[in-house]
Amino acid sequence: MATVTIDKVWKKYGEFTAVKDLNINCPDGTFLSILGPSGCGKSSTMRMIAGLEHISAGEIRFDDQRINDLAPKDRDVAMVFENYALYPHKTVYENMANPLRLRGQSDSQIKERVTGAAKLLEIGQLLERRPSELSGGQKQRVAIGRAIVREPKLFLFDEPIAHLDAKLRAHMRSEIKHLQRSLGTTMIYVTHDQLEAMSMADMIAVMHEGELQQLGTPREVYNNPVNAWVAGFVGEPAMNFMDATIEDKGGKTWFIHPNFSIAVTPEQSRILNGQNSKAIRLGVRPDALTISGSKPRDDHVKGDIFVTELLGSDMIVDVNLADSRIRVKTNPEFPGLEGESCFITVNRDKWHAFSTVDGRAYF
Amino acid sequence: MASRDIVNYNTPLSKAFNWFATIFVAFYLVWTVLPIFVMIVSSFKDLLEAFQIPAVGDWLGARVFFNFSPTFQHYIDLFTQQPFGTYLFNSIVAAGGSAIISVVLGSMAAYSLSRTDFKFKNDLFFWIISTRMAPVVAVLVPLFAIFRSLNLVGSLPGLILAYTTFNLPFAIWILKGFFDNVPYAIEEAQMVDGASRPKALISILPLVAPGIAAFIVLCILFAWNDFLFAAIIGSGDAKTLPVATKELVQPQNIQWGTIMAAGTVTTLPMMLLGLVIRKYLVTGLTMGAVKE
Repeated sequence: MATVTIDKVWKKYGEFTAVKDLNINCPDGTFLSILGPSGCGKSSTMRMIAGLEHISAGEIRFDDQRINDLAPKDRDVAMVFENYALYPHKTVYENMANPLRLRGQSDSQIKERVTGAAKLLEIGQLLERRPSELSGGQKQRVAIGRAIVREPKLFLFDEPIAHLDAKLRAHMRSEIKHLQRSLGTTMIYVTHDQLEAMSMADMIAVMHEGELQQLGTPREVYNNPVNAWVAGFVGEPAMNFMDATIEDKGGKTWFIHPNFSIAVTPEQSRILNGQNSKAIRLGVRPDALTISGSKPRDDHVKGDIFVTELLGSDMIVDVNLADSRIRVKTNPEFPGLEGESCFITVNRDKWHAFSTVDGRAYF
Repeated sequence: MASRDIVNYNTPLSKAFNWFATIFVAFYLVWTVLPIFVMIVSSFKDLLEAFQIPAVGDWLGARVFFNFSPTFQHYIDLFTQQPFGTYLFNSIVAAGGSAIISVVLGSMAAYSLSRTDFKFKNDLFFWIISTRMAPVVAVLVPLFAIFRSLNLVGSLPGLILAYTTFNLPFAIWILKGFFDNVPYAIEEAQMVDGASRPKALISILPLVAPGIAAFIVLCILFAWNDFLFAAIIGSGDAKTLPVATKELVQPQNIQWGTIMAAGTVTTLPMMLLGLVIRKYLVTGLTMGAVKE
C-alpha cells in the first residue's frame, strides 16, 4: 500500500529520450493505467518504477521514501510481465512460491499463501503442472498469482493480457479489476489498448512520444481530451477529424467546410472569440453524430455513403466528405446503401475544436 | 511441436540413391567401428594369437580372428608393471579440472557478454573466439617458455591451465548462445520477486543446463584426447593416458597387447560418457542454435 509519486522523471538511452519530464501522482489504492502507443515511454516508466532501469533524472517516491537507488528486491513491488516470464523448469506451485522463498518464509506460510492465491485465481488444480503444459490464459493467471502471493506495496502490470485472445481478454479485464478492488493495493497498469485503460482504471495517464499528454479519470480523458492526439487515441471507433474555417457572421460563429456550415453554441463562440477566418480542426466522435437519408431541418453535414459495417447491435457508416472520410455510429436498421447521399447532424455539446497549430483543445 | 511427414516419392533415381546410401553407410560403419573392435579384441589376446593372419584371398580364414583364449594379462600388466593408475588419475584430473574451471568462468563471462552492452563488445567477443583460430602447434613454443618460467611444466596445475586456455574461449562462445536464448524477463521477474543479480543468474542456470552439459563433454573430450600439450607441458610428473600409451612403443620391443589394452582404457571412459549424456549432447548443441 503506497502512494506513488513520479517527480520530474526523465529517461534517456544515449541520445534518445524515452521519457520527458514526467509528473504523475498515484494515490494509495488507485488503479492507474499508463496508456499510449508502442514507443511512448510507458514501459520505460514502469521499468523505472520496478528498478529494472535507472532513472536518468528526477525522483520516484513510494509514500515519502525516495526509491531511485534501491535494488528491485528492496522496493517491495510485484510485477506481471507481458510474456509472463514464468520459470519454465519449475511447477506452478514453485513459481508462485518463489517470491516467498526468496524472502525466507516458512514452508507452512508459503503453502497457505500459494493455495490461497491459487483459489482466488481458480488455478488450484494446476499447481503441479509446468508452464509449458498451460494455456496462455492459465500462464497469465499464474503470473498474476506470483504477484499476489505477497502483499507488496505496489502492483506493476505490463500489458499482461495483450497476448490473450479477444474473448479471454474481455474476461480477464473484469477479473483484474475485481482483484485490484478486493485487494485494495495500488496498481500501475501499462497498456496500449485504450479499451483496457478505459474499462479498468481509476486514473489514466496518456503518454505520447515520452511526454504525459493527460492525466485524468477515464471519463475526463474520453469527454474532455486536452488535445487532438489524446482525442484520436482514446475511443473506438476513433474520433472523426475535419478541417474547417471559423467565420463570424450574423452575430454567430460558424464552422465552414465544403460539406457543411454549422453554427457553434454561444458558449463555444465565446471561447473562439477573435479567431475569425482562422483554420480549426474539428473533432466529433462517431456516437455524437446522427445520420439520416432525408434532409433534416437543423444544420447538417452532407456526404455520400462509402460503406456500411454491421456490428450486431450497432452499425458504423463510413461517409465520404469532400476532403476526408468520417465514421458515424447508428442503429442497425439504418437503410442507407453504398453510394447514396446522406445527411448527418451533430450533437454540438459533444464536439471538440482543436488548434491546427499545436493540437490543443479549445473545447 | 507438430510432427511432420517426410514425403518421399520413389523414382528410379531415388532408388539408386538409396542403394548407394546403404552401401556407403555399411562401408562407413566398417571403417569407423572395425579399428576399435580390433583394438578391444586384440587387448584380450596373447601376442601369438594376435598375429594369426589368414592368407590373402582366404576369406573364410578370417575366422581365426575369433580363435583365441581371452586373457586379462595385458590389463594386469598395465596397472602392475606400469603406473597406468597414476596416468588415468592424471587424465581425469586434467580433463575434469579444466572442464570445471572453464564452465564456472565461462558461464560468468558468457552471461555478462549476453546481458550487458558496451563499446567494442563485438570486437571483444571476436577476439575471444579468435584465440581458438591459431593451431595449437603455433603457440606451443611460446606457451612452453611461459610455463617453464612459471615452473608449471610437468605439473597437473600446468596442464589444467593449458587446457583451460583453450577451453575457456570455447565455453564463452557456446554458452553465450544459450544465455541469449533465455528471456531477460525471467531474471527480471526473479529480481522483482526479491533476488539479487547473482541469485538471478543462478536461478536461470537450469535453463542453460543442456548447454553446460554439452560443453563439459566437449571440454573433457578435448583434454582427454589431447596429445600435444600432454607430451610437452605435461611430460614428467603429469603424464596422461595418450602420452603413456605412445611410450609403450619402444625401439626394441613393441608391446602390442599392452598398447591395445592401454588404448581400450583410454577410449572406453569417453564412450561411456558419451552414451550417458547423449541425450543432453544432442539437445544441447541444437538448442543453442535454434530460437524458439
